[in-house]
Amino acid sequence: MTAERPICVLVAALGGQGGGVLMDWFVAAAQLEGFPSQATSTPGVAQRTGATTYYFEVFPQTGLARRPVFSIYPAPGAIDLQVSFEPTEAARALSGGFVGPETTVITASQRIFSTSEKIRPGDGTIALTPILEALSSCAGKLAIIDLDEGVRAARCHPNAVMFGAIAASGVLPFSIETCRKAIKQSGVAVEQNLAGFEAGTRLPSLSIAATQKPPAEFSPPPADLKNEIQSLPEPVRPMAGHAATHLLDYQDKAYAELFLKRLGKVIEVDRQDMDYRLSVSVARRLAAWMGYEDVIRVAQLKTRPGRLASIRRDLAIGDDVPLKVHDFLKPGREELLDLLPAFSGGTKKGVQTGRGGAGLALKLKTSGPFGWATMRALASLRRWRRSTRRYDREHRMIDRWLKPVTDMAADDYQLACELADLAVWARGYGDVRSRGFAELDKLVGDNKHANAEMRPAYADEIRASLAAAYSDTETGLR
Amino acid sequence: MTTHTVYAQAGIGGMERSFSGEVEKLKLGGGDVFEGEAILAITKALLQAGVAYVGGYPGAPVSHLMDVLAEARQPVLDPMGIVFEQSASEAGAAALLGASIHYPLRGAVTWKSIVGTNVASDALSNLASAGVTGGAVIIIGEDYGEGASIIQERTHAVALKSSIPLLDPRYDMERLVELTEQAFDLSETSRLPVFISLRIRAAHMTGSFRCKDNVEPQFNANRQLPGAKQDYDRIVLPPSTYAQEQDKVEARLPAAQKFIVDNNINEHFPGSIDDIGIVLQGGTYGTVVRALNQLGAADAFGDSPVPLLVLNAIYPLVPEQLVDFIKDKKSVLVVEEGNPNFIETEIRALAQKHKLGCTVHGKGHFPEAGEYISDVVCTGIAEYLQKECSKPAKLAKAVAKNTDSIRAIRDKASKELVNMPPPRPPGFCTGCPERPVFTALELLQREKGKLHVSSDIGCSTFSTLPPFNMGSTVLGYGMSLASGGAVGPPLGQPGVAVMGDGGFWHNGLTTGAINAQWNGHDSMLVVLENGYASATGQQHLPSTGSTPWGRKMKVSIETTLRAIGVRWLERVNSYNVSGTLKTLRRAYDAKDKGLRVVISDKECMLANQRREKRRRADLLAANKPYPVERFGVDEEVCSGDHSCMRLSGCPSLTLRPTHDPLKDGPAAMVDSNCVACGLCGEAAHAAALCPSFYRARATVNAGIVQRTLSRFSRMLTNVMGAS
Repeated sequence: MTAERPICVLVAALGGQGGGVLMDWFVAAAQLEGFPSQATSTPGVAQRTGATTYYFEVFPQTGLARRPVFSIYPAPGAIDLQVSFEPTEAARALSGGFVGPETTVITASQRIFSTSEKIRPGDGTIALTPILEALSSCAGKLAIIDLDEGVRAARCHPNAVMFGAIAASGVLPFSIETCRKAIKQSGVAVEQNLAGFEAGTRLPSLSIAATQKPPAEFSPPPADLKNEIQSLPEPVRPMAGHAATHLLDYQDKAYAELFLKRLGKVIEVDRQDMDYRLSVSVARRLAAWMGYEDVIRVAQLKTRPGRLASIRRDLAIGDDVPLKVHDFLKPGREELLDLLPAFSGGTKKGVQTGRGGAGLALKLKTSGPFGWATMRALASLRRWRRSTRRYDREHRMIDRWLKPVTDMAADDYQLACELADLAVWARGYGDVRSRGFAELDKLVGDNKHANAEMRPAYADEIRASLAAAYSDTETGLR
Repeated sequence: MTTHTVYAQAGIGGMERSFSGEVEKLKLGGGDVFEGEAILAITKALLQAGVAYVGGYPGAPVSHLMDVLAEARQPVLDPMGIVFEQSASEAGAAALLGASIHYPLRGAVTWKSIVGTNVASDALSNLASAGVTGGAVIIIGEDYGEGASIIQERTHAVALKSSIPLLDPRYDMERLVELTEQAFDLSETSRLPVFISLRIRAAHMTGSFRCKDNVEPQFNANRQLPGAKQDYDRIVLPPSTYAQEQDKVEARLPAAQKFIVDNNINEHFPGSIDDIGIVLQGGTYGTVVRALNQLGAADAFGDSPVPLLVLNAIYPLVPEQLVDFIKDKKSVLVVEEGNPNFIETEIRALAQKHKLGCTVHGKGHFPEAGEYISDVVCTGIAEYLQKECSKPAKLAKAVAKNTDSIRAIRDKASKELVNMPPPRPPGFCTGCPERPVFTALELLQREKGKLHVSSDIGCSTFSTLPPFNMGSTVLGYGMSLASGGAVGPPLGQPGVAVMGDGGFWHNGLTTGAINAQWNGHDSMLVVLENGYASATGQQHLPSTGSTPWGRKMKVSIETTLRAIGVRWLERVNSYNVSGTLKTLRRAYDAKDKGLRVVISDKECMLANQRREKRRRADLLAANKPYPVERFGVDEEVCSGDHSCMRLSGCPSLTLRPTHDPLKDGPAAMVDSNCVACGLCGEAAHAAALCPSFYRARATVNAGIVQRTLSRFSRMLTNVMGAS
């Protein structure tokens, strides 16, 4: 008895990526070669999202008197080719047992994030490297391809590029010419698909290292604060330099100096044996906080030189194509009042309340003269920023936050670092920011940290709050 | 009140999508080779069997049958006098089979099971009891296992209780077509309707078969019956019902069993080992053979030393056939997917009744519940063979070795894979008009506190998933409003129900709206009228504006509701989130107004884009101006809090890794699939989110006037420092 079986291919895609058409090409190629084959799929719904799989079997012999028995289910231990249009879908195949030493895996390198990853505040994305390493360890052969590169080059759907990569892998018993014929035979978008196919055959396999997230890029320190930055402990310099540049752009030199002054106080109590971890963390959080986004900052960013040109590039349109860009701003009532001078009777407490949805809904056409002028006018309010209620409130809270951070550095370094991270709550706009401030108000006020007896409970409270900040997807809602 | 968009006019002339290639396949004649999907092969088999009428309700995985026949109505069905309807529900489709009770008319209907069978069961019971003259066949898409979108039950129990023979064919295209044709003979011989069950993957399976000519039905719309009939024996009132029950058991089921034996519906593949064997459902044949192949106990063509009894008919079973297979064996393994295990139980009873020494294995080697995927089947068979098959020794050794190597693959995978992939269920499409309704409902919830929202079947069920997590119960198609009837008062809230237009027409009007109106419920119904039964592939509905075959016909949801006395009814443009929120708030607060209805009437974006894409291609080809529109996010402005995602979940609103060391996480971005539905901007406004969103609208191939104006505007802004 021979243990031979058909060549088995499992394709994992997301709805709308063209997996069905890829199957059609497989079936057509098999027919052209005269091989019996069978394709099937599980797309039960018409929606364009969600993981979906396609399964194909081909028996590479012609002129058979009997038809081989095909299966509609992929089987662990019997997958020769596993194709994924997204790398975590390859991981799903692996978790199903569909990747073994007999399997060649071809996967796209680009992540398409799932809703569960997207809705987390901060970074909710799962790490890709361990997934690719697991695939590399389990698969007979792993090819990681830059599918998007092929798509961009050929201006086609990803399935054509993937078909090219599959043909080039040589796992399927179809010649390149047969594959081309299969595409031609379908009669739909033949030119683009052929171009995509050719691009796919030439795509190199990337290393796992090449798929890693881009590292943080630190801007160089501003020229007129170079010496001040240079005088800081070495581990703090890149972050402090980047932060100073950021704040110089945000406000002015004096503002960057205020930042350095505050940071200096933390550095004084920080520990060299800890590589100034606390100071680096404070530098990062403090700079982000001091660069809080008010209407003025938003207007500044929306009128950055080159912004309209970059939008044109995104849309892939030329310079002479008429373009209208509308910006959606809705400063809440509080945010508008925040532009008033601090002495105008602003909220003394760091917490603002108010139903979301109330405010001035603006749809400004920034690409037109009126919209642009309005935005510039808003941005020019920068020189008054220091006298606004918002400034007053933000900086009061910053000082309240920095106090326990600095105080705790000597007694409980770990807790000080965690307190530094608490600044994550100073985020977002409108209601989101109000809720964050309410949390801060609860945790950094009233010298709570000073009571040594209560400290373990306090530390627990801080840790729970940090966990909530990163995991609670409802923070933005209720 | 917003004006009602008459999008459906664009659909007049038939379906949005064309199935003309498939229609051609239905015309193939004797000797031609058919290549295509199984569900289409079955459709062809119906024509070869001489059906006089076809009906059904669309639902994966059998929607295709309805879609193609709708398009084939004029070119193929009409000339043959075949009646075709897209029934209002599965109940209607089952009732259609009533034509076969008195008359020699063959008919077939189709739906998704178990849900469709449940809806149809009243008519089915009556049909099976009265009995049929012409062959009546029900093609059921067994939506069970991976990719299923419904509750997990199998149709087997329904077949048993109503005495409806159930075919679960072996998935070989030739055999599938042959069995479909034979199903009509079986139905006529046994005077019972017959189920043909097809799993999801089988429905989409490709293959080929040699065609026969289509057969024009003996009696049809063009060649009419001699006259109408009445026969009290066929009426479901006593004493006819008692006689019918006896007849089913004494005559009809035995006739079915005899037919099954005489026509070799079930298949016996003998093997060289005589003391063991496997009894399996036809639909699991490919999986079983592949498992044997992997274990070293079958070749690529299915030749195995292990004898197989393939039950293409899983109800009724034929005791003599089973006894014959098991009588000289020490044991058999029963491969039976789903629960309860009716076949295994019956075989075990037979072994005991006939005092056979055969041990019956089954559940235990296989899981009690769940789909019989390859892994499950292979593991079960390996266990059985390792226990029961010691000779030939070479085979036993191969089984042991192969079992180990398959297990090693799984073990290694679970050891190496530390991060599990994120769940990725289907969700609302990019630009879906239903999404903003849930954004507005979410905002309403912020004001009113957590709401008990009664959900329905259809795309709108996706609201129960992240990011909305909205919808507390789903009780069936069109059942949302009814299912909230007793929830509102004890919660102190008005009942809040969401229903698609598909659900509304299927059951929602009578079971929901009329019931609420009649009983005076304090409730609010949101109807998502996107124009089609979208979840199953944009099939036309009574309110679409045209029938699937292109006849202009519209039954208005609004007019219907007003006719039953609904006084509070408003339409919203869902993409206007603030406006929708206001209307929802008013509906919620109008406590003394009885049933309040809010209709969102924006078209399904898939259908819209299919048309839009064609239009844009035409404009491009003609060198005419066409708009390119998309939303975007200013990366620097984005706070990384992702509140916008929690109010949207749009696939094109995604993340971009950040280089800025000051940022806590990736920024939001809008990818190139954006269709500029406007939700991003609207949600940012309605919820006062971050101001990072912008809308970019370009006009490619713009005319001279627009280009000049644009140039002038650019000049002005450039003077002010823009670039």
